[in-house]
Amino acid sequence: MSAKNSVNISFSVNGENFDDVTVPTRQHLADYLRSQGLTGTHLGCEQGACGACTIEMDGVAVRSCLVLASQANGSSITTVEGFDDEVMQKVKNNFLKHNAFQCGFCSPGMLMTTKEIISSKKKLSRDEIRSEISGNYCRCTGYQSIVDAIEESINEIN
Amino acid sequence: MKAPDFSYFEAQNIEDAIKYKSEDDEAVILAGGQSLLPALNMRLSSPSCLIDISKINNLNEIKIEGDFINIGALATHSDVMNNDLVREKYPCLVDILKMVAHAAIRNKGTHGGSIAYGDPAAELPAFAVAMDAEIVLSGLSGQRIVNAKDFYLGLFETDLKSDEILTAIRYPFLSHNQHLIFDEVCRRHGDYAMAGLMAKVELDQSKINNLDLVYFATGDKPNVAQNTARLVIDNGYDYEKLKKSLASEIDFAGDLNSSSEMKLHLATILINKILNKLER
Ligand SMILES: Cc1cc2nc3c(=O)[nH]c(=O)nc-3n(C[C@H](O)[C@H](O)[C@H](O)COP(=O)(O)OP(=O)(O)OC[C@H]3O[C@@H](n4cnc5c(N)ncnc54)[C@H](O)[C@@H]3O)c2cc1C
Repeated sequence: MSAKNSVNISFSVNGENFDDVTVPTRQHLADYLRSQGLTGTHLGCEQGACGACTIEMDGVAVRSCLVLASQANGSSITTVEGFDDEVMQKVKNNFLKHNAFQCGFCSPGMLMTTKEIISSKKKLSRDEIRSEISGNYCRCTGYQSIVDAIEESINEIN
Repeated sequence: MKAPDFSYFEAQNIEDAIKYKSEDDEAVILAGGQSLLPALNMRLSSPSCLIDISKINNLNEIKIEGDFINIGALATHSDVMNNDLVREKYPCLVDILKMVAHAAIRNKGTHGGSIAYGDPAAELPAFAVAMDAEIVLSGLSGQRIVNAKDFYLGLFETDLKSDEILTAIRYPFLSHNQHLIFDEVCRRHGDYAMAGLMAKVELDQSKINNLDLVYFATGDKPNVAQNTARLVIDNGYDYEKLKKSLASEIDFAGDLNSSSEMKLHLATILINKILNKLER
């Protein structure tokens, strides 16, 4: 039994393997990802409230500011940079069309949450969309344009 | 902000975790991390070591044991919401969990973590008290079971001993004439409530036979309002009377979003909301 202040971990990010990398135990996953140049994952509040750092870990959305890098050992991670298939292209185009990227700070989290909404295959009302994105703060658009973009994406894709 | 320095120990089984915890007073258990990591990032605490129990096998099982549904400590909020047994036997728990944080947080945050942490604003501790749940703890000297009513002692203070780990929560089934009804007032869907109420109602035809009122986000821990419940059974909803009774029964503590005066008001009208939800 031993505890250390750094650990060696292996995991994959956007399909690329990170083998036996050393991370400080106090470092959260968002900081680790950003230190590797993956700055699409944003850090807003670092207490789980704003949603800007949302990533996908082993297929489910999590807050990367509330996961330690050391806990990612063995996992498969996808960040906003890794979602660039046809579906996400459509989503991004709809965000552009409706001016849903304003300052852009919340956008990675909004896109990750939209991805979850789209994969659930549900047709959602505007109220339901608002409730689904209630864990993501946007400080400039007033949400209207983001809801527009998500609504159009659901109609177009699902 | 960033977390202070700490060391990290990944426990492979409960015995290892208990042993490690009993040897280091300053070490804390890490489950889903959805309460602990925000606290560390804000430097509200500085443990020597995090004992990560999240990789321990079989601690997330949800199963029926006699007259109880047994939820393993590591079952995440999402696991519980999507579990067929829970959906069938405890639909009210699914509705409650929809109000607990947001999807990405529910994917990590655990049932046991919420119960063990005992945040006075959290839904699950109040639910456990209202349901008369049993809390299963394991320590150096073996296992013991504590009733949820006796588990919460004060602000973030529970009966969990320094060598103990919470391994499961056991909820007794509701009988056909019992209902668990809940409501809360919060600023944003998924945020902690400004005040909330779990009510266990026992009906005889359309008359309320028995009523347990357990509040959250009102004081230092889940607050049981026994006298007020009696008044509701005897006289129904009377805002002024119930407000007076609640004020004498609960030590309302204000927070950033709402004063104690406001919480008292919300606690009172929550009774009306609950009664309106009761299909009689
Ligand atoms: C933005 C945000 C909003 C939230 N909103 C809500 C909300 O509205 N309602 C709500 O109820 N919760 C809310 N939460 C908290 C969430 O539900 C947490 O997941 C939960 O409270 C703690 O579970 P955890 O597994 O993450 O515990 P951790 O953060 O890992 O641990 C919390 C504490 O409990 C101890 N602990 C954990 N598991 C055990 C165990 N098995 N045995 C002994 N000790 C243990 C730890 O040592 C620690 O002190 C919110 C969280 C965030 C970040």
